[in-house]
Amino acid sequence: MKSRREFSPQTLSVLAALCEQPSRWQHGYALAAATSLKSGTLYPILIRLADRGLVEACWQEEPQPGRPRRHLYRLTADGLASATEALNARARQQPAGRAATGAGDARQPRGRGVAAPAAQ
Amino acid sequence: MSWLGRAVARLNWLGRATPRLNWLGRGAARLMPGERRDWAEAVWAEAQQVPPGWPRLAWRAGGVWMIATQRRTGTLLLFAAAAGVAAWSAWPSPSVSDSAVERADVIATVVLLAGLPLMARQFFGPPDNRLARWLRAGCYAALLAFMPARAVLELFIGAVPRGGHDLHTFDVFEGHGVPGTVSGGLGVPGEVMILLMTSCYVAAGLALTARRAQLAPATLAVGAGAGLALGAVMYAVAPLGFNVKFPNRPWLHGSAMVPFEVLAWVLLFCAPLAAGLVAGLRSAKSVPLERVSATRARQGAAAGLVCSGVGALFVTVAGTGTTALLVKSAWVRSLLYHGQHLTASAIYGRELFASQDVPIYGLTCVIFPIIGLVMGVCWVGYTNVPGPQPEGGPGGPGGPGGPPGPEPLPDPPDGGRDLEVPELVGAGMGHLT
Repeated sequence: MKSRREFSPQTLSVLAALCEQPSRWQHGYALAAATSLKSGTLYPILIRLADRGLVEACWQEEPQPGRPRRHLYRLTADGLASATEALNARARQQPAGRAATGAGDARQPRGRGVAAPAAQ
Repeated sequence: MSWLGRAVARLNWLGRATPRLNWLGRGAARLMPGERRDWAEAVWAEAQQVPPGWPRLAWRAGGVWMIATQRRTGTLLLFAAAAGVAAWSAWPSPSVSDSAVERADVIATVVLLAGLPLMARQFFGPPDNRLARWLRAGCYAALLAFMPARAVLELFIGAVPRGGHDLHTFDVFEGHGVPGTVSGGLGVPGEVMILLMTSCYVAAGLALTARRAQLAPATLAVGAGAGLALGAVMYAVAPLGFNVKFPNRPWLHGSAMVPFEVLAWVLLFCAPLAAGLVAGLRSAKSVPLERVSATRARQGAAAGLVCSGVGALFVTVAGTGTTALLVKSAWVRSLLYHGQHLTASAIYGRELFASQDVPIYGLTCVIFPIIGLVMGVCWVGYTNVPGPQPEGGPGGPGGPGGPPGPEPLPDPPDGGRDLEVPELVGAGMGHLT
């Protein structure tokens, strides 16, 4: 219940996208594509998550030739635990019918069914 | 990319907009705090991965939005916009005789408002809480609103009267005054005085709301609330300047004014006193016993100062603004003198009087804070007179370093002067714990 209040649907969708491969660094554009969020929404969410220690960020060490270095993101251990808890709580709260259709689609933003990630 | 996206991508304006947005975003990113600047750079770097055209433009626009919605950047942009509007409104036309002085004053005021927070941050630290930030914003809004209102009145005071009736009224009021010869404001001494006063108010406001001042939010809230009440009553009494001989009161007449005048006098002294008392008692609840007196004094003085400062600023800005609107807006004139059939000459006379009375508000800006500071701390002298210490410690009637006090009084039958701390707490002094 607490997690549900803590994270907005958009934040949950970002957490769900990051939870898919928790150990892998992800780019902002990939996250935006996965969550269908605009950059003006995605990055403030990432900033807040980083401020809370749930997401860590770093700069790409070996950029593509002719391209600037990219900023990379992944969940911290705390972030993974919080995200798992929040997504599980959300999945439990989904009505049975909607859970059946929405579960498994972790990329659905704006309050629709977000799958609980596999326990790590 | 959709057909709409491709069509938009072909438009020339898109090609021109992209580098401009790029420049805007990179410039705005420099306004962000150092620890956040990476995020702005990240959005810009990532834009290279986004398909060109509309999607990339939208991505960068999102980055600009992200930068603008960061607290510090948003505050800076809001201030820049408000200061730009205020400066544009107050900017004198070349026909004003002292336009160079007026322009210098506008520029100096904006520079002052922009620069003092940067200096204050170095010395006093950032604002400590949300209320402190709101107080700063209110102070800045008031001072920015004051700029155009003052410019309107300075132009009006010495301007050539509008016509025959106006000229006649001007002659009646001014005697041998020569209309139009002083058009253009207060001159260098007056502008310097106002600039100095503005500096004092901004500096005091920044210092009182900074982290290093260690003022409790309750102190600021109580002081500001009492100050708004004081300012509102003062404004009700004198909405168009203070003139004892020829009071210019559009909505209160005769005996109806007396209760408000009494209330204004009472509030002038009692509002800072009450604010200091409440703030001192509240703030001392959570401090060690040995620091209670100092905490009370500091919080009480600050609450009194905030109260009187807010009151003075409120009545000055509201009164000056109302007078400027009286001069500029026929709608406000009919609102203020609703139901009164005034001739054009009488209206002009009221405008002239009100404009000439406005500088007296400056006195309130000087006198009120002095009264507030004194009243905010004076109660401390009363409440800090403790009873005799059981073991002859400090804090006796003479106080530390003072002359020796009289012999300790014998205990009254109820032991009222020898209360221990727990008993004081029980007697409503819970702050001592």
